[in-house]
Amino acid sequence: MRQVAGLISTYSSDEFGICSALYELGGMVVMHDASGCNSTYTTHDEPRWYDMDSMIYISAISEMEAIMGDDEKLIRDLTETALEMKPKFVAVVGAPIPYMIGTDLPAIAAITEQETGIPCMGFAANGMNYYTKGVSMALEAIVRRFCTGPAVRTENLSVNILGATPLDFSLNGSVDSIKDWIRENGMDLGACLSMGSTLEDIAGAGRAHVNLVVSYGGLAAARYLKKQYGIPYVVGVPFGEKFPAMLAKMLKEAASSGKDLVSYRPVGKNQAPPGTDSQNSEDHLAGDRINGRHTGKDADKTRISIIGESIFSASLAAAIELDCGIPTRVLCPLDTEDILLRECDLRTPEEDDLMKYLPETKIIVGDPMYRVLCGKDQRFCPLPHEAFSGRIYDPVNPNLINRKLAK
Amino acid sequence: MLKLALYGKGGIGKSTTTSNLAAAFAVLGKKVIQIGCDPKADSTINLLGGHPVKPVMNYLREYDEEPEKIEQIAARGFGDVLCIETGGPTPGLGCAGRGIITTFSLLEDLELFETYKPDVVLYDVLGDVVCGGFAAPIREGYASQVLIVTSGEKMALYAAKNINTAVRNFEDRGYASVRGIILNRRNVENEWEKVSTFAEENHLQIIADIPRSPDIIRYEDEGKTVIEGDRNLPVSQKYLELAKMLLEEEEKQK
Repeated sequence: MRQVAGLISTYSSDEFGICSALYELGGMVVMHDASGCNSTYTTHDEPRWYDMDSMIYISAISEMEAIMGDDEKLIRDLTETALEMKPKFVAVVGAPIPYMIGTDLPAIAAITEQETGIPCMGFAANGMNYYTKGVSMALEAIVRRFCTGPAVRTENLSVNILGATPLDFSLNGSVDSIKDWIRENGMDLGACLSMGSTLEDIAGAGRAHVNLVVSYGGLAAARYLKKQYGIPYVVGVPFGEKFPAMLAKMLKEAASSGKDLVSYRPVGKNQAPPGTDSQNSEDHLAGDRINGRHTGKDADKTRISIIGESIFSASLAAAIELDCGIPTRVLCPLDTEDILLRECDLRTPEEDDLMKYLPETKIIVGDPMYRVLCGKDQRFCPLPHEAFSGRIYDPVNPNLINRKLAK
Repeated sequence: MLKLALYGKGGIGKSTTTSNLAAAFAVLGKKVIQIGCDPKADSTINLLGGHPVKPVMNYLREYDEEPEKIEQIAARGFGDVLCIETGGPTPGLGCAGRGIITTFSLLEDLELFETYKPDVVLYDVLGDVVCGGFAAPIREGYASQVLIVTSGEKMALYAAKNINTAVRNFEDRGYASVRGIILNRRNVENEWEKVSTFAEENHLQIIADIPRSPDIIRYEDEGKTVIEGDRNLPVSQKYLELAKMLLEEEEKQK
């Protein structure tokens, strides 16, 4: 059945993605939604809530305000609160009610900005899209609005990280490990959108030589920075032992050539070669392994299926193929683009799609709440995904960045 | 790009006026899109020889998924005008205003303006600005000018006043502004005086005076605009004059 999840959970919605992406930037985020059990935006799916302050509010729209289209109350509340709290920006975020009555949030944000002099942004979220879209909207808006510094490159090669939120990377040290890995490879870290960087860091993001896109949510911001500042981007997450070396090489190659690369896709498939020495035997083998050419006789029976966000999962699949030699494919239920998947990967927006393709696999890697789809003769490897199961599995969520993957 | 939204009381002749304007722009060599924003979905029928295009809402209802190409929800009519209808939900159910917003988002996703590169876009909007959805065509990025269609009839002028007030209320939002009134005559006694008094009181200009013409009805029976039927008719010339004036104004603003 379409749009029915009978056995599995559902992913966080676009509103959560916006809240997560903006959480650390010092802004005032206002969900234009009815009051009630709204703590999910900031508690169930937000592991930083108890340790880090962030201004997240609910407008508490009432039935009559919705019927009457009383935007004035929202504008008044936004203005008064913003003048009192003095945030670095105001983000007013839509939800199902304003979506249905057609509230013009960008216009409300523009009026609030006129009233307060504080930068305001309106986000047409509706609670019916995935968090990936919310992260994407928020990060693109942030770079468009605040990345206004000069396009002068830093002396040493520097890298921005785009698309990092706890919804994909939890708080298990993965994002810190990506930062360490960048430095270990002789590159400087620019801004990280959106974990561990300030709005001031983001203002200078135009100085980086290359952007590393670690989730779908970072792609729109990367494309904007490419257009505005000419910064190329490389898509990938440095999972495993061998894949990070390839990815580091691609970052340097992209910085030098200006070409955008999807690290786990094969050479010639809309990507430039990963490096000048990419044709040596090891890289050639890697190229074959990570391009989805699962040519072994029993490839279909032995393959691993990873369920999850496209860039995260395809990078992990590439790392598994390189480190363990096991054909691995991605089943992606979330927003993505064909260019972010390999030929063997599949989009699986419906639970029925997963039920169709999962029996073909021997090992399933996915959030523990996908275990219900695992057959008796299949092995299930839990890999918690905050955007799917919230904080429930935080204590057992492994950091797989730049380290050997267990077989 | 000249982007116009036509509003007015139901049955006053908005679709007739919009289609004839679209045809006039096309005759003047412009690339035109007409978007009907009415659940009745009959705005563009006289540009299409009486054969209606599948409305966007009908497509969504029928296929339960969004179209991937503009061609799936558009048809080319007289003068190569690209015709689109939002349509609406099942009568008595759902939310027609929301349908308009959804259609606009969809057209944005399909990059309609970027791919088709029109010179003129016309939005033909149902009756009054009754809710948020019906204000969508005048939001930032859509129409920049509103044309109010009215006759000298009391209720038509009443609706025109409401529309003008609604648009004025949105001034601080950067929405479209009212360019003027199109007087679509119904042979009401002292019609010019009544409408010009109204225009003066509301600080509006009458930018066109369209005579009541049996030719309009005759050609509509054939699924045509009068511009297509006979562009030399006096009534056709009125539409052409209005189109020329709006284009010249836009040219001056560049």
